[in-house]
Amino acid sequence: MSHWEPKIVSFLCNWCSYGAADLAGVSRMEYPPNIRVIRIPCTGRMSAKFILAAFRQGADGVWVSG
Amino acid sequence: MLAYIEKIKEISRRLLQEGNVDMVIGFRRGTVPMMNEPCFVKTPEDVDNLVWDSNCGINLANYLTNRQEKIGIVAKGCDSRNIVTHIIENKIKRDQLVIIGVPCKGMIDRHKIQAMFETEIEHVTELDDKITIKGVGFEKTLEKKDVLQDNCALCIHRNPVIHDELVGDLVDEQKNIDRYKDIRNIETLSPEEKWRYFDNLLSACIRCYACRNACPLCYCPTCFVDESRPQWVGKSIDPIDIRTFHFLRAYHCAGRCTDCGSCERACPMGIKVRLFTKKLEKDCLELFDWEAGMTLEKRPPLDTYRPDDPDDFIK
Amino acid sequence: MGIEPGRLHFSWISSAESTKFVDVVNDVTAGVKALGPNKTFLKTEAKVA
Repeated sequence: MSHWEPKIVSFLCNWCSYGAADLAGVSRMEYPPNIRVIRIPCTGRMSAKFILAAFRQGADGVWVSG
Repeated sequence: MLAYIEKIKEISRRLLQEGNVDMVIGFRRGTVPMMNEPCFVKTPEDVDNLVWDSNCGINLANYLTNRQEKIGIVAKGCDSRNIVTHIIENKIKRDQLVIIGVPCKGMIDRHKIQAMFETEIEHVTELDDKITIKGVGFEKTLEKKDVLQDNCALCIHRNPVIHDELVGDLVDEQKNIDRYKDIRNIETLSPEEKWRYFDNLLSACIRCYACRNACPLCYCPTCFVDESRPQWVGKSIDPIDIRTFHFLRAYHCAGRCTDCGSCERACPMGIKVRLFTKKLEKDCLELFDWEAGMTLEKRPPLDTYRPDDPDDFIK
Repeated sequence: MGIEPGRLHFSWISSAESTKFVDVVNDVTAGVKALGPNKTFLKTEAKVA
């Protein structure tokens, strides 16, 4: 298990955090590669189903960001 | 109780004769003891089928969704709150309804009573606050207050919140009830302890969905458990699937559940499913000062935004 | 509900806050790393013999 890296499913709002992620990329900032980004049209689209579905299918963490 | 029955019949007969309603939804005697069943009365002659006693725990608001006709409905305190919720959620219009309010003193818990006896119960009769249970070779009289459904013992809204007719005098509401003792106990557990606690609690679940079907809030045309693309919940009795079902169902009921106890009553395995819905009820009360179904004037907390909504969980 | 609180994070980041984005990614990753793999709320597929 020494090579274990967490998989974190990230639900990012198109207009907020997804924009921030884009800007971070354009600005050549470094951040950990553990997040798997899912773009949602708005955090209002978020549902408890998504969070549980992510965990059920093996996510180690879930991050919701507006 | 007997007075209630006559009054329910009298009001129903009058409503049907005058043509104010197309049908009256009430209870009739069930085929087995302690299981009164819902009954749709459409003619004045059938009114005599209606009954009322301490076995009317089913929530009749369940039968109101998407109906077009004019309906008279017999409603306890909790039923009336679910009717309010239905009106707020546009599942039925207020002017379609004639609500026959029944001040309620609690329903008896068939699981509890059956557990006291080893053989089948054949007759259950009640007189005032005494319940008499009869079966082959035994007869026993119990105090009603000892065999109330858990939610009825903790009920603080026994009187209907909206009604057009009333079958009796309003009853005294129970005061100084600590509704959330069991929930607080669970909240103090660590994540691992909670995990084990819920594993244990849900181990008996056979995924029959009786709790969902009995619930007046569960009126989605396709329930998330039946959706297959994407499939949120597997069909098996895998423990994770069971857990997903119960937690998501509870979240769907957040801010809407009136703790009528139908889910727990319906459960064939006697699982305390109310623990889930009650946790969210407690949260809604503490975070938003909200009790479901108390007024037609206010929107529920989960479909309104206020700048002072709690947001400590957001970084 | 038996999931460790540190596995689930919520945040609010404006589209101009790329630095906050990076900070939060670091925090979330560190938080989840500290907890180790998710072993509980995981649907194990039926084993085929």
